[in-house]
This record gives sequence, C-alpha cells and structure tokens, in this order.
Amino acid sequence: MTDAAVVETAAAVRVRGLWKRFGQQVAVAGIDLDLPAGKFIGLVGPNGAGKTTTLSMVTGLLRPDQGSVEVVGHDVWRDPVAVKARIGVLPEGLRLFERLSGRELLGYCGRLRGLPGAEVDKRATQLLEVLDLAGAQHKLVVDYSTGMRKKIGLAAALLHNPEVLFLDEPFEGVDPVSAQIIRGVLERYTASGATVVFSSHVMELVESLCDWVAVLAAGRIRATGTLAEVRGDHPTLQGAFLELVGARGRDAASNLDWLGGGAAR
Amino acid sequence: MTGLTSTVVRLKLSLLRNGLRQSGGRRAAFVASAVVALLFAALQLLGLLALRGHAHADAVALLGTAVLGLGWAVMPLFFPSGDETLDPTRLVMLPLRPRPLVGALLAASLVGIGPLFTLLLLAGCVLSVAHGAAAYVTGVVALALALLVCVALARAVATANVRLLTSRKGRDLAVLSGLVIAVGAQLVNFGAQRLGSAGLGQLAPVADVLRWLPPASAVGAVHSVSEGSYGTATAQLLLSVAALALLVGGWAGSLTRLMTYPDGSTVQAADPGTRERPSSGLGRLLPTGRTGTVMERSLRYIWRDPKTKAAWVTSLAIGLIVPVFNALQGTGSIYFACFAAGMLGIQMYNQFGQDTSAFWLVATAISSPRDAYAELRGRALALLVITLPYATLVTVLTTAMLGDWARLPEVLGLSFALLGAMLATGAWTSARFPYSIPQEGHKNVAPGQAGLAWISIFGGMVAAALVCAPVIALTIWVNVSADGDAWTWLLLPVGAVYGAVVTGTGLRLAAPRTARYLPEILTAVSKG
Repeated sequence: MTDAAVVETAAAVRVRGLWKRFGQQVAVAGIDLDLPAGKFIGLVGPNGAGKTTTLSMVTGLLRPDQGSVEVVGHDVWRDPVAVKARIGVLPEGLRLFERLSGRELLGYCGRLRGLPGAEVDKRATQLLEVLDLAGAQHKLVVDYSTGMRKKIGLAAALLHNPEVLFLDEPFEGVDPVSAQIIRGVLERYTASGATVVFSSHVMELVESLCDWVAVLAAGRIRATGTLAEVRGDHPTLQGAFLELVGARGRDAASNLDWLGGGAAR
Repeated sequence: MTGLTSTVVRLKLSLLRNGLRQSGGRRAAFVASAVVALLFAALQLLGLLALRGHAHADAVALLGTAVLGLGWAVMPLFFPSGDETLDPTRLVMLPLRPRPLVGALLAASLVGIGPLFTLLLLAGCVLSVAHGAAAYVTGVVALALALLVCVALARAVATANVRLLTSRKGRDLAVLSGLVIAVGAQLVNFGAQRLGSAGLGQLAPVADVLRWLPPASAVGAVHSVSEGSYGTATAQLLLSVAALALLVGGWAGSLTRLMTYPDGSTVQAADPGTRERPSSGLGRLLPTGRTGTVMERSLRYIWRDPKTKAAWVTSLAIGLIVPVFNALQGTGSIYFACFAAGMLGIQMYNQFGQDTSAFWLVATAISSPRDAYAELRGRALALLVITLPYATLVTVLTTAMLGDWARLPEVLGLSFALLGAMLATGAWTSARFPYSIPQEGHKNVAPGQAGLAWISIFGGMVAAALVCAPVIALTIWVNVSADGDAWTWLLLPVGAVYGAVVTGTGLRLAAPRTARYLPEILTAVSKG
C-alpha cells in the first residue's frame, strides 16, 4: 500500500484512459500509465503500436479524444504554462526550422522560451561542443545528416533544462558514434535526477539503457515495470517482447527454400 | 540492345501511366495539358504553313527551332523531377553498359507530350521553308535530326547537372524557376511587341546566325535546299549531325562518370572549422525578448527559404509593377499604389503554414494567449520592417510619376489602413484556417486543403476590405464634399492610426485562438 502511494506521488508522468482515433483506425486504445520520476524509461513496441501518437499526446502536440495526462503533477491540457516549461521534446517525423544554422536554431529556441540571451549562447556553445556539432554549427540544419539532426534536436530539447525529456526514436538512423554521444548525454542527465522517456523498437538498446520499460502494442499497454519485471523468465528483453506482442512461432523462412548462396539463378 | 531499349521505353510508359493513376486531378491535368499543347502546336503549324512563301518565313522557322532547342536545354534544370528515367543514378545498380543505355534512354526520351509537341512544331518549321521534292526529303532528315538534338540536349544538360539537381541547392533553384519563367514571359512579350511594331525584317540578322546553329541548322538546311544551294545544305546538316554526336558523346561520358564514381554529396565536406562567425548585425538591431527572436527568424526565412522568398519576390514585384507600369502607360491611378500594401499584406496569411511541421517548436513554446500574442506580433513586425518602407516608396514613386502630389497623404493613409486590415485578418485566418505548404515542388497547398486555402486567402481579403471600409468611406466623403480638399492631409494620420489599431485588435483576437488550438494547427500544417 505504502509503496503504491510512493509511486503515485513520485510519478513523472500519469496517464489515465488515453484514447485516440484517426478515422476508422484506433491508434491508442485506452492507456493508463504511471512513469516513475528520475528513471530512464523505454516505451517499446512494434511499428504502428501507437508510440508516436502516445508521446505526441503526452507532450501536448496532439489532442487526445479522451483521457488525461499529468506531467510532474500538472495537467498538460489545463495547465500548459507549468508543463511546457518543465518538459523537453524531440518528436519524430516533424521538421525543425531547417533554414537556420545549428547555432541559430538553438539561439532561437532558447530565446523563444524566455531564457536570457547570454545564457542561451553559453549553453548552446556547451551543447554543441558535447554533441560534437561545433564544427557544423554554422551550417544550415537542412544540410545536416540524420544523426546531426537528432543531435541538434536533442540540444534544443535540453536547452531549457527540463525535468522530463520525451524523445521519439532518438536513435533511429543514427550512426554508432553519434548514438554513443547521445547516450552519454542522456545518462549524465538522468544521473542528476531528471526523467527520460524514449520510444524505440530496438530491444538491445532499451535493455542496455533503461531501468524501466513500458511495452505498447496495438494501442494498448502490454506490460510495465522494471527491466527485470518485464523480462520475467526470458533471457533477453527481445524474447519477452516477442511473446508479449504475440509474434512468437512465426517461421517466415519455410517458404524461401530457394534462397541461399551458390547458385546464381 | 533492342531488349534494353524496349524495356526502358516500357518503363517510361509505366511511369507515365502510374503517375496518372495516382489521382484524378493529375489525370485531368495531364489530359488538359496534352490538349492545350496539341492545340497550340496545331495552331502554330497552321500559322507556319500560312507563312509559306513569305519573305521572312525562314527567319521565323529558324527562330522557332532555336527557341525550342533552348526550351529543351533549360527544362530539366527547372523541372528535375519531371522524368524519373532522366536520373541515371537510379539505374546504377543494374549491370548495364553506358553505350546501349544511352540509346535506350534517348529512345525513352522521345515518349511523351513534350516530344510530340516539339515534333509538330518542327514539322511546321520545316514545311514553311520546304519547296520542291529534294527539300521535302531533306526535311524528313532535318526533322529527325532536330528532334534528336533537342532531346539529347535535354538529356546531356540533365545528366551533367544531376548532382546539382538532386541536391538541396538544385531543388531550391527549381522553386524559384516560376519567377524566371514569369520574367521570361515578360521579356518575350516585350520582344513580340517590338516585332509587331517594327516588322519581321528585324529578325534577318538573328536568322543569319541561327541558320548555322544546331538544331536550327537542320531547318536551315531545308531552306538552303529549297534555294538550290546544296553545298550549304550539306554543311548545315553535317553540323547538326556533329552536334548530335557531340551531345550524345558528352552525355555518355557524364553518364559513365556518374555511374562509376561515388556520389560526392554524401562525402563529408572539409571541416569548415570552428571559426567564430560574428553574429549578424540583424540580431542587435531588433528588440530583445520573444519579439526580436521571432522577427529575426521570420526575416531570415524570407531570405533563406526558397518558398518564402519566391512568395515575397512575387509580392514585391507585382506590388511595384501594377501601379508603376499603369502610371507609365498613362492609364494609372494613384490609388493603384495601394496594391503594394495589399500584395505584401498577403504574406501575413497562413503564417503557421509557412513554418510547416517545424511549427511544433513554436507550439511547445506557447503556453498562454500572451505568448501567442508575442509570437504573432513578432511576425507582424518582421513583415512591417519591409512592407512599411516599401509601400511608402511605391506610393511616393507612383505619385511622382503622375505628378499628383495633392493626393499623396490620402493614398498613404489608405495604404496604411489597408496594410493594417490585411495584418489583422491575416493573423486571424492564420489561427483559424491554417493549411500546410508542401516544401517540395511548385504546389503551395497540400492535397485536400485547397478549399481551406481559398477560405483563408479570399475570405480574409474580403474581410480586410470590409475592415478597411470606414477609411475608404472617409476618403470618398472628403473627396466629394465641397471644401474637402482642405482636409485630405488629415487622411494620412487617420489611416495610419486606424491601421495600427486594427492590427493590434486583430492580433489580440487571434492570440487566444492560436493558444487554444495549437495541436489542431500543428496537425493542419504538417500535412503533405
């Protein structure tokens, strides 16, 4: 009982009865979720599970059909002032202001959020340095590679020192070097007590990074808890995940008996 | 080799067919453009046939052929995505040798409306200068040669520039091409008017050069045969053949290079270094805080974003051309000067659509109507930085040309009131009827949002006129009343104050709506 109460008060994100339909298709079908504060949280699920839709609704970028979302105790839709100052967002599939250079983009984002100009420039310099973007800081973002875009997006999301960071597929299409840099920044950030919520379908990554996992499939939560709880008896998260989303036992290779090296026909 | 040719031609046909199958609108556009092109070509053909025997028929035919050639040369630069078989890098993974590939691609290039249109026009050119059996025989050869030179020219230019065309700068260039075409049309118009007044004889010296320049030299050969100078004709035909060989050779060369060398655009450029760049003076001139931040970004986008730039240049040009050209021709009215304010005021419309899905950055930084008001005000101020001096300048210029200085204050007042009304309605429709502007291609509205765009722009403009009505009524009243002339100067401050008040009101009405409907606006501007 007391444990549950502690979790209640310490929740970074509290979602209740969240629904979203696009026409006939139900993208998110009634999600209840409590994400603990100060943790590195992975939101995992196959493509089309509703990860992006959920994250968009949690961050106030998409209006849910039903349900409520609280971030650090403030309702996203009724108290946007308190929420928007406390969260950082890196969405997937949305553009940045790409005709600005990396440095200009950070300067713009920081000042737009009301930070003093000198402070913005100081933080931008440090972020560009840490994220290995200093050499490209005067290049237009439109000419950045995927990895560089993710990194500049991460810098923009971190600039105002948010309490909770929401990242949609931050490692998608990112080279290993950039991924390692992003990882290092995020680990340092959570070590200071902040919360990171990120979505991914790469289980090895989630397993190595996260201490808390929520599994999403077909718009519903299939499992939540610490890594060990979700993994259960399975040796890897991948195995547990495949069973949870019901993808076990499909042997796609049986019909491809002609496929193999040697014959060029 | 024939197998490859037929495969590539079939590929071209499939691409054409599948493109049409995608949507009814595209099908309709294709049929319409085909009909228009064929009608135009048929008319041209009749016109050229009517010229037969005319003293300057050869000049017209040569010029026509040269213009066609020029068209084929510049077309791929402006419409790079028009023909997917134009991009040989798509075929790079297939085990093909350049020589058969060149033949196959050349054959595929002959499929489509463009080549058919060209063929008809060339036929007209040849027929207008051909006299006698020998000339007709030469004509058939010339026709094929000229067409092949045109097509090879397009292919050679496209292939030589494919790295540019598939790069970001090339696509930026393509968006601005509409402007080039508009200016070009203006020049052609100007040239045609001069010809109309001075007669076709003016073309003779041009024709003397063109008759030796492929693809026009092929048509020149037909003319030479008609006149009996077979030696000249042979030289002209050989020149065309040489040009064709040269083009195909050059094309094959760049094709081979393209398909065997790595794409330079993915190779990391030499590190430009961490050299400190002085921050642009722009930032220091603008106010601090959100207002200055928003203004700075808006102004940067006018210069750096090709779509925004094209829209601005169009507005600036039309806003200047309409009043000034009308004044030049003596048909002008000083009230046309309001056009500048009206055209530039349009830029306030669909502000968030101009952001595209990057609007999420703005949305995450707006948490109250006050933030939204600061955002909208910053955008309106950025617009005013350019618009206010420009509208004033155009008004003064028009007044100076018409010499009607007494009316300057009232027209300026009207301009300012109109500008204010456009900013106010623009801000409100930006919040109420946002729609997305696709970044690629020439379209300014995403599919399915055309109705929204119409409501936004035309509804907004009607509303702006209504909002402006009190100042218009006042102007009319001052002009018709007996001793009104003594009071026209008053219209300047009245108009300016009215414009400012209306703008402020519009922004204040738009701000709460913007703040309340951020997710809906984001969804609307993220389409396409």
